[in-house]
Amino acid sequence: MSGGRLLEEMMMRPPVTCMIDEDIALRTLGEAESKESLILAEVRLEERDMRHITVKEGQVSSVITSKDMGMNVRIALPTGIGFASANRISKLEGSKLVQAALRQAKGGKRRTPVALAPEPAVKTSWEVYQKHKTADMSTDDRLSYLRELDKAVTKTGVKVQGRLFELRDYEIGSYFANSEGSRIRSFLPRITLESSNMVISGGETAQSIRQWGSSGGWERTHEWALHEVLPQELKMLKRQIEKGKGVKPGQYDLVCGPEVAGIAAHESCGHPMEADRILGREMSQAGRSFISPDMQGKRIGSEYATVIDDPTVPGSYGYYAYDHEGVKARPRYLYKSGIINEFFHNRETASRFGVQSNGSSRAEFYLREPIVRMGNTFVAPGDFEDDEIFGDVKEGVLMHSFTEWNIDDKRYNQKYVSREAYFIKEGEIAGPAKKCVLEITTPGFWGAIDAVSKKLEFSAAECGKGDPIQAMAVNTGGPMVRLRKVVLK
Amino acid sequence: MSELKDIAAHLVDIAGREGADDVIAEATDSRTHLVRFSNSEIDAVNSWEESYVQMFVAVGKRTLASDLRDMGNLDSLVRALVSSAGRAPENKGYGGIASGRFKYRPCRADRAIVNIKDPSKHVHDSISAAESEGADNVGGTLYIRHTRTGIASTGGALASDESAAAELSVRAFSQPEASGQAVSCTSRLSSLAAGRAGARAGELSVKAKDPVQGEQGKFDIIIEPLFLGSVMHSTMRRMSALYVDIGMSMYAKKIGKKVASKEVTIVDDPTIPSISQRAFDHEGMPTRRNVLVKDGVLKTYLHGTSTAKRFKTKSTANAGTFIPTLFTIPTEPTAFHPVVEPGDWKTDEIISDTKRGLYLNNTWYTRYQDYSTGEFSTIPRDAILRIEDGEIVGAAKNIRVSDNMLNLWKSVDAVSRSSEEVFWWDEASPPSTLPTLRIRQMNITRSS
Repeated sequence: MSGGRLLEEMMMRPPVTCMIDEDIALRTLGEAESKESLILAEVRLEERDMRHITVKEGQVSSVITSKDMGMNVRIALPTGIGFASANRISKLEGSKLVQAALRQAKGGKRRTPVALAPEPAVKTSWEVYQKHKTADMSTDDRLSYLRELDKAVTKTGVKVQGRLFELRDYEIGSYFANSEGSRIRSFLPRITLESSNMVISGGETAQSIRQWGSSGGWERTHEWALHEVLPQELKMLKRQIEKGKGVKPGQYDLVCGPEVAGIAAHESCGHPMEADRILGREMSQAGRSFISPDMQGKRIGSEYATVIDDPTVPGSYGYYAYDHEGVKARPRYLYKSGIINEFFHNRETASRFGVQSNGSSRAEFYLREPIVRMGNTFVAPGDFEDDEIFGDVKEGVLMHSFTEWNIDDKRYNQKYVSREAYFIKEGEIAGPAKKCVLEITTPGFWGAIDAVSKKLEFSAAECGKGDPIQAMAVNTGGPMVRLRKVVLK
Repeated sequence: MSELKDIAAHLVDIAGREGADDVIAEATDSRTHLVRFSNSEIDAVNSWEESYVQMFVAVGKRTLASDLRDMGNLDSLVRALVSSAGRAPENKGYGGIASGRFKYRPCRADRAIVNIKDPSKHVHDSISAAESEGADNVGGTLYIRHTRTGIASTGGALASDESAAAELSVRAFSQPEASGQAVSCTSRLSSLAAGRAGARAGELSVKAKDPVQGEQGKFDIIIEPLFLGSVMHSTMRRMSALYVDIGMSMYAKKIGKKVASKEVTIVDDPTIPSISQRAFDHEGMPTRRNVLVKDGVLKTYLHGTSTAKRFKTKSTANAGTFIPTLFTIPTEPTAFHPVVEPGDWKTDEIISDTKRGLYLNNTWYTRYQDYSTGEFSTIPRDAILRIEDGEIVGAAKNIRVSDNMLNLWKSVDAVSRSSEEVFWWDEASPPSTLPTLRIRQMNITRSS
């Protein structure tokens, strides 16, 4: 990936200019550092400006602006970890948070003393460059963008109910300091659009609920090309309703499009490879994992199954340069040529496994405790052209995209129902297939792959995990992948 | 510090003087303490405090909402907000805000919850109880919440509200694939049944031991309140008029029609004592008991003022927040405390009356192929117990309920007389009071 090189280029830009007062962070940290038996103290100050506009059937239905700021203190003692936060920033607040976090850490009474993997102190600043700052765009600019999008949808002539578009952009400025000497200032702007459309034809319906998202400025909306993509999607759904035929249940070769490969990478590779799940930290909410620590190095898929998570992909929705423990982000090879290779770690889980953190600690915002999260998870590209991948499929299905999906909490049994699918006959696309269902185990999915195409595509999503649940900006992605002889319903 | 409703009234006054026609200010002050436990020990303790004002202003049909969090600078933020609203685009579907001479029920929070210093004793009680039933690994969360709100509007709203909640969720394992989950949610600390929730989770985990691969086919399913809580999560959202309006609901054009069996009556009742009891909706309208489904017939959608105007009806006092929360749409009318009215069955009788079925403790990840028709699937988790000839004969695993939500509700043929308040994570949410149901001949699938 070229992400690492571009990241360095971004980091050479002038220092971030958010309004956060470092002195408050450092004084708060100083207070925490004076405590006995401290393993680590962290202080994060954050500010966030957000704008949100909703357009329904071409008309504004909601305009929201929000300016938020706050701070948190996290303290690790041998007895436990405490985390306290508030939507206020002041020296007095910092002092209160130190006391609260300390009390919580002392009261933990852990049987296994808390330990954190060592990390070097980092002093840096990073930001994501915006060619066109979203904060400089007016509400009218946003509105015309969405109205043009709605116009493009209505021009298709497809009967669509809903036509609900939500555009949200925000900037997060942050200052992080820890008792080991790390000082990191950052500025991360993101922009995302969600659309809800219900296509109706001949009394039948097909839903399209989509999200696009990037880090960066307004220029990212041009890259999405939604004025072309969305009309195509709705015309496609009309064809699926009118021309689609049901798939006769049975065994087929299945080609999964990038969106389906991406959701599988996220759900049945990314999540089960989170070390906090593997250790049971999420056992009562997002669940555990079918993967146990001793499965590292064991086979889970075919030699063509390589899944990477890389938070440093430039412009990606899940981009970050340093995680919320101040650890530098880097690509993680999760499944490597079919082998369970590397778990997602924060400093605490890394210590339990005797390894270094790989920079996976993220929090949705300052009020929440950082936990182990994904960034941009995708199936690694292979060496097939897209059309080559159909080449020797005699009878199969291309599941290009999905609608309903779910997976059990140990991440072993998953289901994907197609939104866009086609029959493949003698290596050629042969007409739309309606709502075909893949219900398969995790080794069943990754073990059946025998070809992967070259072209990588990403989708944006909000991943839910933690308690209270934290929505995390991520990308899922992949090229086309071919699965041999899987059962479709 | 002034009362929150006075702060809200002051801000409404400023906005009015700046030229806003409609104004709502809802001020909130909340404190949350969370104890997370896993592997039978406390692994993290979090606490957070929030103070903010959610403000909605309309200048004619030009509307703008904002989340004001700089509490030391509210007056100038409100002036700026009204100025920006005057330049905002017109919201042609805007139907005004609730107005009237409102009367509110007094709400008081249990001081025992508000003043609790160290709630970890309840966590240890639940772990011990689960282990004494045979579990060997226990995890969960205990939330202690205290929230105060004050609301004022140009429509005549002026009120305060206060709530406190203790919410315990316990998941117990007796084997890696044998678990049970239980909750105890209460607005009175003296009613927090930590030991009972732990024991129930532990007992279910033991019953779930040695699960066999689940079978595909049609089964009668008996679902516990926790499972039903997840079903309610999606059912209530589809009854929100906003989702009906955008075509994302199987309840469109179903008012007055049968959407469930005659055994089913669903209400939304934020007036009863519960952890989601509240005095007013987000427009300041006093909350009330709304019958949504009566003996299987759909009576109303959930409405705020704007959706009610669009549907030519009256608000049900379910106006949602102007600032969207996780995975919601701004202003979406929302259920506050759904209740499925109890029936006349004992849970044991439902089991003994079932020839071939599955007893399901909990579920998650309910997703739809098509919201307008209701095709969905959900993945049972925790105890999945097999029933043959009225007896529990063992446990199963790796199944999915793949059916249609309208069909699910129409297939309910037994409702327990006992109910339980449940709230768990983002699944059994919002908090609800629910019985156990039997649903006939649901389609069960599994991985091939």
